[in-house]
Amino acid sequence: MVSAILMMPLAAAGEVGESFFKERTSETLPCQATDKLFCFDWAKENIGRYGTPTVQHLELVLISVVVGFAIAFALALLAHRRRWLRPPLLAITGVIYTVPSLAFFFLLLPITGLGRDTVVIALSAYTLQIIYRNALAGLANVPAATRDAARGMGMTEGQILWRVELPLAVPEIVAGLRIATVSTVAIATLAVFAQGGGLGQPIYTSAGLTFKTNIIIAGGIAMLMAFVFDLTLLAIQRYATPWRKAARG
Amino acid sequence: MSAAEVTEQGAAPAASSVRYENATKRYGDSTTAAVERLNLEVPAGEVCVLVGPSGCGKTTAMRLVNRTVELSEGDVLIGGESVRERDPARLRREIGYVIQQIGLFPHRTVAENIGAVPQLLGWKKERIRARSAELLRLIGLDPELGDRYPAQLSGGQQQRVGVARALAADPLVMLMDEPFGAIDPINRERLQNEFLRLQAEIRKTVLFVTHDIDEAIKMGDRIAVMRKGGGVAQYATPAELLMSPADEFVEDFVGADRALKRLALMRVADIQLWEAPLAFVGQATAEVREKLRGAEVPYPLLVDGERRPLGWLSERDLAAETVPSRPDSPLGPVLELDDVMRDALADLLQGESQYAPVTDRGGRIAGVLSIEIISEFLASPQAKTEEHGAVERPHG
Amino acid sequence: MTCALLPPFLPASIGGAVEFIFEPQSSNVTGGKEVGGLAQVIELTITQLEVTAIALAISMAVALPIGLYLGHRGVGETLAIGLGNVGRAVPELALIAFMAAAIGVGMLNVSIALAVLGIPPILTNAYVGIRQVDPAMVDAARGIGMTEAEILFRVEMPLAVPTVMAGIRGATIAIVATATIAPLAGVLTLGDFIINRNVYGADGLLAGGILVALLALTLELLLAWAQRLLTSRGLRLNAA
Repeated sequence: MVSAILMMPLAAAGEVGESFFKERTSETLPCQATDKLFCFDWAKENIGRYGTPTVQHLELVLISVVVGFAIAFALALLAHRRRWLRPPLLAITGVIYTVPSLAFFFLLLPITGLGRDTVVIALSAYTLQIIYRNALAGLANVPAATRDAARGMGMTEGQILWRVELPLAVPEIVAGLRIATVSTVAIATLAVFAQGGGLGQPIYTSAGLTFKTNIIIAGGIAMLMAFVFDLTLLAIQRYATPWRKAARG
Repeated sequence: MSAAEVTEQGAAPAASSVRYENATKRYGDSTTAAVERLNLEVPAGEVCVLVGPSGCGKTTAMRLVNRTVELSEGDVLIGGESVRERDPARLRREIGYVIQQIGLFPHRTVAENIGAVPQLLGWKKERIRARSAELLRLIGLDPELGDRYPAQLSGGQQQRVGVARALAADPLVMLMDEPFGAIDPINRERLQNEFLRLQAEIRKTVLFVTHDIDEAIKMGDRIAVMRKGGGVAQYATPAELLMSPADEFVEDFVGADRALKRLALMRVADIQLWEAPLAFVGQATAEVREKLRGAEVPYPLLVDGERRPLGWLSERDLAAETVPSRPDSPLGPVLELDDVMRDALADLLQGESQYAPVTDRGGRIAGVLSIEIISEFLASPQAKTEEHGAVERPHG
Repeated sequence: MTCALLPPFLPASIGGAVEFIFEPQSSNVTGGKEVGGLAQVIELTITQLEVTAIALAISMAVALPIGLYLGHRGVGETLAIGLGNVGRAVPELALIAFMAAAIGVGMLNVSIALAVLGIPPILTNAYVGIRQVDPAMVDAARGIGMTEAEILFRVEMPLAVPTVMAGIRGATIAIVATATIAPLAGVLTLGDFIINRNVYGADGLLAGGILVALLALTLELLLAWAQRLLTSRGLRLNAA
């Protein structure tokens, strides 16, 4: 009943579904038929249902991020040395960034068909462009004097890259990883439209779309996953860059 | 044998001579060269300063030595060996490299920064650690700073670490490109003095680039004044440069105040100081008045039991029976016997005082310097003949 | 709104998709009624742009004042930055579905749902844009006697334009992309081709993908051009 009252202001703002004005008693109807915001009992009983979608979701995210990172990192190393590669790569990644992932799924369809592969390719492309941009910027932001000193003291190009430039680019690269991972977790809910599974699956069913508890659980798991990834990556970054803490302190 | 190998065996490290043979650097298809047929010889163990207006190619010439800029024509020989025949990366590990913006690695500790080249050469960890500590002491920093990161150090400290890093693997040659340029003037003077003291001990071959003629005169055993287009207008000792500039360009560049510049070649200890009438705390003022009679300095200097100066006493102070423990006038600038005369004069002028006490290394009073003494000296015939003796670099 | 199991699907061809866009096709499912064709495409595109515009207006109206104010005062950094992070983590499908179930379907409600997506980037960028204005300038402005409001409007905002615009651009693209699944909430956009594929067929599905991609790209180019216009004016203001 409280939820109905809370919904009133929102209802006043626009069109309202019929269900709001139906009389109902929570004692006589099962929870999912009511308009309650969250059915705790149902949740407790049915939480197991979300196991497979969660695992699928995790797989999608992990594979996409790893593949995207690997390719982006390689491209960034290439473009770092060869400036002429930068404009074309920037244009391509710019396009990938703009095209909505959902559209991307279906542009790939003639080639890869429905299913998990399509989703992974599309998501990888998305993470790729974020990480590429950040990795390149991170490498480029190494101070010129530091590079000069490294070269002048007798480091080879390879040594400069691995011992100086990359360690200093870590914060920016991890920042890109964090953004990419969090966004991918959110976007992967759309995988259901390409028959790729994931946490969008429980939502995109005829019963699921109107059952708020279901949406909250599925969406909540996704957001929780995103935060866990985000915080883990942040912790890794802090651990890998002790000198930044020292500078602050 | 490379310097690294020599040091392994514990033998005294040698410095190498550096010789430019028709060294030329041309960029792209420009017809004017950045460095044109440079012929220069720097004897081992000496500091050669490359000085000139911006664009004269001094930095380019310096970088030809460690091949951070590649020769277009000609050659550079280190200890008789051509740099062209060496692998650039390996060559650079034998040459110390100090640049203006320092370029310390922010992600490594100070000790790790210093140990960078030894690490490239494959030294054992223990040896690197010991060497870092040794160098920190050598440049006058607390060895504990070794565990800090560069961002936690001041600009002056960072620059010293930069020098230590360049010295770590006992290089044959040191290249320094405006190393003190980014430091404030007070610390710059200190760093210059310390480097001179260091150089007196370790006697490396140093190629030092600066645009500041005063720094060149202070630091160099030999100075190469370069003009735009990368040619050398004059290559001489500081004294020769001041006394007999080769042409109008050099004369203009060195500046009209050559007489004052000569002061950069002297130490305070080289001149006859006035004696300070000393007053000790609690001493009878009558005694002090006695000392004042006939003294060259009209004010008594209050010193402590160790003869360290505390301040100047005024008439009011002397009105009492005994000398008070706190002087009326502040101390003002205090000079050291080691100070270069030009800096001492600058301190006097800046402190707006006629006189300044001069102390030895222990802080004990050695005499009093006044502007009068300096100007008398410059005017004296003795100064003119002493110029020839001033060829010797003042050693610490 | 059909949410039954999706029928078996055959890969479509681009040729078929292009045909679908321009010429109405006959569909087996709707019993002969035609689907596709330029008219329908335009109609759905307009709807998508409409809902995007309303959503953008709402999120700008909410996020800009808060972000600019917080940035000017220099407080609430955790909120501003944190909101940006949280916003990225919100699953679009869950958001649309939840809002549809909670406040109902229809243009306005969907716009509100989409506005939720647009608020974080605009707020964060408004905050950051103001914060990175040179404090010396603000100091000088205060020193010559400008009121806080004058400082905000005449000094900080023109200088913050590039960053703020970047935020608005990001928000717009995010909103237009998510508007693709608005058909789930009763607002028919180009996403209808994708979601209701058993009506529109394989050709329609691919056509939907192409159209949404083109729409997003066009919008991005327009916004980039608009930003360039606004920025130079802003910089000119600054110099004056």
